[in-house]
Amino acid sequence: MSQETWKDYKKTRHTKPLPLQGLKVLEVGTLILGPVGPGFLATMGAEVIKCEIPPNGDTGRNMAPFGYFYKGFPPVFIHNNLNKYWMGLDLHIPEGQKLFLELAAKADVIEINLRPGVMEKWNVGYHDIKKINPKIIYISKTGFGQWGPYALENRPSNDGAGQGLCGYAWMSSFPDQPPIKSSIYPCDDYGGIMGEVAVLAALHHRTKTGEGQFIDLSQSENIMRTMSWVWPYQQLTGKTAMPAGNRDVSICPADTFYCSDGDFVAIAAPAPEEFKGLCDAMERPELVEDHRFKDHLTRLKEENADQIIEIVKRWARSKTPDEIEILAELHGFAASRVRSVKDVMNDEHSLERGFIAEVDDPILGEYNDYGFPVMMSKTPPRVKWSVRPVGFDNEYILIKHLSRNREQIQELYKCGAIGKWGNMQGRKPPEDWDGKSGVIMAINEDLETA
Amino acid sequence: MEIEQNWNDWAKQNSDPKMAHVKPEALDDLVVLDLSSKSFAGCYCSSLLAEFGAQVIRIEPPEGDFIRQCTPYGIQHKGEGLNYLTEGRNKSHITLQLETPEGREILKSLVAQADILIETFLPGIMDDWGIGYEQLKEINPRLIFASITANGQFGPASGSRMPDYDNIVQAKSGIQRTTGEIMPEGKTYDECPWAVPTKAGPWIGWVQPATFMAVGILGAVHWRETRGEGQALDVSTHESYARFDDINPIWYYGSQVVSERFGNLDTGSWLYCFAPTKDGAVFLGGLRLEMWQAFADIIGKWDEWGAGEWKDLTLFTPKDQKLKWANLLYAETVKYTNKELVDKALDYGKTGRLAPITPVVAPICSPLETMEDKNWIERGVLATVNDPVYGDIVVAQAQHKMTETPIRTKWICRPVGYDNGHTYLKHLGFGPSKLKKLQDEGVI
Repeated sequence: MSQETWKDYKKTRHTKPLPLQGLKVLEVGTLILGPVGPGFLATMGAEVIKCEIPPNGDTGRNMAPFGYFYKGFPPVFIHNNLNKYWMGLDLHIPEGQKLFLELAAKADVIEINLRPGVMEKWNVGYHDIKKINPKIIYISKTGFGQWGPYALENRPSNDGAGQGLCGYAWMSSFPDQPPIKSSIYPCDDYGGIMGEVAVLAALHHRTKTGEGQFIDLSQSENIMRTMSWVWPYQQLTGKTAMPAGNRDVSICPADTFYCSDGDFVAIAAPAPEEFKGLCDAMERPELVEDHRFKDHLTRLKEENADQIIEIVKRWARSKTPDEIEILAELHGFAASRVRSVKDVMNDEHSLERGFIAEVDDPILGEYNDYGFPVMMSKTPPRVKWSVRPVGFDNEYILIKHLSRNREQIQELYKCGAIGKWGNMQGRKPPEDWDGKSGVIMAINEDLETA
Repeated sequence: MEIEQNWNDWAKQNSDPKMAHVKPEALDDLVVLDLSSKSFAGCYCSSLLAEFGAQVIRIEPPEGDFIRQCTPYGIQHKGEGLNYLTEGRNKSHITLQLETPEGREILKSLVAQADILIETFLPGIMDDWGIGYEQLKEINPRLIFASITANGQFGPASGSRMPDYDNIVQAKSGIQRTTGEIMPEGKTYDECPWAVPTKAGPWIGWVQPATFMAVGILGAVHWRETRGEGQALDVSTHESYARFDDINPIWYYGSQVVSERFGNLDTGSWLYCFAPTKDGAVFLGGLRLEMWQAFADIIGKWDEWGAGEWKDLTLFTPKDQKLKWANLLYAETVKYTNKELVDKALDYGKTGRLAPITPVVAPICSPLETMEDKNWIERGVLATVNDPVYGDIVVAQAQHKMTETPIRTKWICRPVGYDNGHTYLKHLGFGPSKLKKLQDEGVI
């Protein structure tokens, strides 16, 4: 039956509507925390206008791994800025602020990640917008929120600070070893997506009541929200929660093991039938009856967990991850090789589901990336295009949304309210750009509409 | 400065979680059935909706869901595992045996009154029971049917019988592989068993897909308001978590680079690392040249390193340069305590050569230090809930501060079947004698 629901999902998704069609969003965001959430909304069909200060724009345009740019843009910047319209708008000057207010008057959602008070200083804070658009949903995403001791100190923050301050890095390390920084940006990305939970809930409230609101989101608080048992454990025991490396102290056995080929496999087999399956796979059926391992709560006790993990460890070392995966499937427990990005990008399963987005972008060309992970049977989210040079869509936005004519637009360029990219990596079009691909509307005679 | 002060005050007055109870709830018109089985992802997803006031009916088999027994070191509080203790919040807990035909008929009656159903069974099980999406949409075409599973509802691997656990999600996503200490030169796994691919945080591989699903559900709710139709939603946990791998997929696509562990440094940026100190470690962040210059200045290396001459950050982007500069940097940071470095950075923002520019310096805290941090206490994120069953318990909460419809945690958990009486009476009109009969038959 579910086969029927999902038949030809990838093939037919472009023929279906999008869940947030018609929703208008304005973004003033940099790096990851600010841009990632609006990128998800745009993947779900919202019309997102991203405002950057010309000519350098978003600092995320710098984040090239070991200096690597894909077609002139950093991978992380491409990954998180999807389906947006790109405006180079200088909010430092009154003409720029005026344009922002005009756009804000028609927007449903405004997403910001500047330090508290900056938008207010630029006369485009929540109260300024609320005066002209009482229904606005205005979210500010920061390290520490809009109020409280750290906000008053005006502390700067970013992802790694969140990992450190919240105990997240501490819990993601090996005992007696220095804490390890995640290779991803969990606080930025998680704060970004949690912000959209709040925005969409606020949208539902607005649909019912007509009422907008202000949302103060701290990325640190959101990563703390994910840490489940840690807080009551500390309160009840008076001890600090301790790191345990790859072992899951709430699930037993669950750990990552070194294999015969030098690769690694993760195994989990906590439920009774799963643990029995693992013992059978290890050809140690008697362990199921062992008093140390007789039920899950008993197995979880540290002294018992140490022993069963040691047994699994010795067994796993004699096998390859592939052999263990086959046995897991056969015996009904869970196992996976510790996969690389190459494994994931070439996974037939995710390619067939369309999780691997195969994008055909007028500027970036054809490329693959991970897409949106929620499949929606009637309104499939999808990646259509990605990043643009700073201010790339200025003309389109000014003509379509603000009814400016050619002379007025030239005037706005002259006074510096709007601008385009500078000659810097990550800001400008790729070397092979033909001068018109991707352009939606142009006023310069040199450019034809694409 | 005066404006900032006013804004801070206004924001506090209007979004302090202590005043949440006087305001309306955003999702209090929605009814959610949570059928999660052996999955924290499903429980967390319904929690996110319950925090906004959705009426969540948590449905478990009569013996309770196995997830209640997944608790650190086997510790229980009043018979409850510590993980589940935090995610039963605001939900009614009932029991229902879906393996019986009568149990499934009862579920259908609840579905007729529900907006959203969350489930985590292996794909095909709900269909086999006659309560899959295609069957339930006949009863309630507005139903939003959300499945969170290891591999999702379709695609070649959807037939796998493997269960879904957090550490498997992390291994499969590609992210664990790139996180962790680099193996010291000339050493082996047996000498350094900590220099391996390393998983992160408690159950991020479960709560992250749960959060994406919450976004999908609310998107579907929005669409339903105009079109009147529900739909089926499908999340594969490892695909979802992989989505947070921001750099590597396109790097691999464009240049065939398969990223590997890089310790406490960052492939994508500089200054961005953990650095050792006299009494622990700090995070250092300075993604703009001036911020990195400011840090060099703070540790007294402005002249020696020629920081004033640096033109941009490209000098610090190649791998060998990052390693070289990290060593130079660490030799300096170990001379200070965490507090000294944090204070120096804050002072520098006021009086330093490049003020107000200053780098981000944050201590790497134990979660006990986090729990004692006045900032989080004042902002109500780590607060005690006085639960009628479990007593005073600290859980993370109030992670969104909202001026009109703030989230709140009213109670944290319920024992198995605690709400059978009221919930079945309210929704299906089952009184005590009917419940007794169902109980005797093993249906509830």
